[in-house]
Amino acid sequence: MAKLTIPAEEWMFSGHAACPGCGPALAMRLLLKGLGPRTIVSVPACCWTVIGTPFPTTALRVGVLDNAIEATGASISGLRAAADALGLADVTVVGFAGDGGTADIGLQALSGMLERRTDAIYAMYDNEAYMNTGVQRSGATPWGAWTTTTPVGPAARGKPEPKKDVMGIVLAHRPVYAATLSPSFPEDFDRKVELAKGLRGPRFLHIFAPCPPGWRFDSAETIALGRLATETGVFPLYEVLDGRLRITRKVSTLRPVSDYLAKQGRFQHLTPEEIARIEAQVRTDWERLLAREREDGPAPA
Amino acid sequence: MLEIRFHGRGGQGAVVASELLAQAAFLDGKMPQSFPFFGVERRGAPVTAFARIDDRPIRVRTSVTEPDVVVVLDPGLLATTPVSEGLRPGGLLLVNTRTAAEALAGPVGIRRATVDATRIALARGLGTSMMPIVNTAVLGALSRASGAVSPEALDRAIAAFVPARPDANRDAARDGYLQVRAAPAREGPSAAPAHPRPPPVPIPEGPIAFLSSESTPTAAWRTFTPVIHRERCTRCNFCWKFCPDDAIELGADGFPRLRAAFCKGCGICAAECPPKTIEMVAEA
Repeated sequence: MAKLTIPAEEWMFSGHAACPGCGPALAMRLLLKGLGPRTIVSVPACCWTVIGTPFPTTALRVGVLDNAIEATGASISGLRAAADALGLADVTVVGFAGDGGTADIGLQALSGMLERRTDAIYAMYDNEAYMNTGVQRSGATPWGAWTTTTPVGPAARGKPEPKKDVMGIVLAHRPVYAATLSPSFPEDFDRKVELAKGLRGPRFLHIFAPCPPGWRFDSAETIALGRLATETGVFPLYEVLDGRLRITRKVSTLRPVSDYLAKQGRFQHLTPEEIARIEAQVRTDWERLLAREREDGPAPA
Repeated sequence: MLEIRFHGRGGQGAVVASELLAQAAFLDGKMPQSFPFFGVERRGAPVTAFARIDDRPIRVRTSVTEPDVVVVLDPGLLATTPVSEGLRPGGLLLVNTRTAAEALAGPVGIRRATVDATRIALARGLGTSMMPIVNTAVLGALSRASGAVSPEALDRAIAAFVPARPDANRDAARDGYLQVRAAPAREGPSAAPAHPRPPPVPIPEGPIAFLSSESTPTAAWRTFTPVIHRERCTRCNFCWKFCPDDAIELGADGFPRLRAAFCKGCGICAAECPPKTIEMVAEA
């Protein structure tokens, strides 16, 4: 029998209400494996409210606080203060919010939590639109993607604005740790979660979370699509520890982004010119990442 | 006035079915109405939609609670949802299932009809194999079994309002029209409801969420079930690692086992299995 490469224990119950093949559901399962039972999760209005806590059930074996969509950052500051007041030093406080609740509606609360140096983990699961309410574009929706509010037709070509750089915003606050994670790479995912758990201060996890109904792909392809996102450079895996950036999944030659785009209904309308534009942006961002890694150099021994 | 209630699952096209029915009725010269019950926008979750058809303008705007026709797009709902609740005497219950109409459990005094719309949709290539889109095949069957709309109007409504693959959808509707099977109402004294409402959950003192989500199995969501062929399994545990529902457990011997009550049939385990020992098999 092959050795387990991620923890065996499960802290998420089955029977939750996520769609078949849900990336955010797998993200929660892997996150809790790394964090363990001494964890409190704050969940704002997002898919996970509906997935995890339809009354009177809960899909988590750990404590859950349901809160308002703009409040995740503030709520984990409060939970941390309460845990400290009760002497619960071994409890990990986690905010688990979607991209809309992080990049748009909860941005000031996230900034406040980071600036206050709250000792907590903020995890954004990024399914790149407001999926819970039926696929409306968010600040994290990529350029050119179809959503119900960025339609495709004679006068519209999907989302006309680029994806918001949430990692860039977070890094400007100099957190002790920030990383990008993908459920398609569970070992890398788990290592980052366990590393973050062992640190003190504000930590941020940007989790790639494919959405079969919202992105229009077959539910069996969630993992394959996540792999393609990293192999094409669309979602590179890296971490920034004490201000030093390191790419954790080296890609010697990026695959063409069309390999990733072609699998999704939300990009079916794109012309070769539009795909080339996305390709150029992805390559520029990737070169910047490599340059930053070279500049930062290896961690001191 | 004819009142129709659709029961389906998110992704099967119940809401679009009710809209297409209304469009077809309009083409027949009727005054239709169509709207969904707004719930969670989630693939696989139970969905309800309503339609009304009349010769005069329809003033009522409420949900349909006493339908003349109930259409069930997913037979799994028969066990979990009170689909036939409120059906009027002499009404019609139409179900997408392989089961013969005579064998369908239905309330006394309600005509029954069945159509294997899942097979039709798969044969016509509508939707994915994991989630066939059965709505147009069911509408064809509904046209024949209820006379709510003419098959010609349905053809035209599909051509005008179905954006993806209108020809395949029209053919599916024609297949449904030809293949629907009907059975007369069961006779005898009124007994217990054919599809009873589940009892309400008693609420004790204490935490708000007092039940685990494992008290709500999700087996009925799936159309395909993974079958693990042990003889070729290398016990790599990829299927376990990547399951969003934790529906695969590893035995002490290292072999994966399906926790069938919680598998939604997404197909990730089969897609990710390196030696391809997991096969997705259609549910009976």
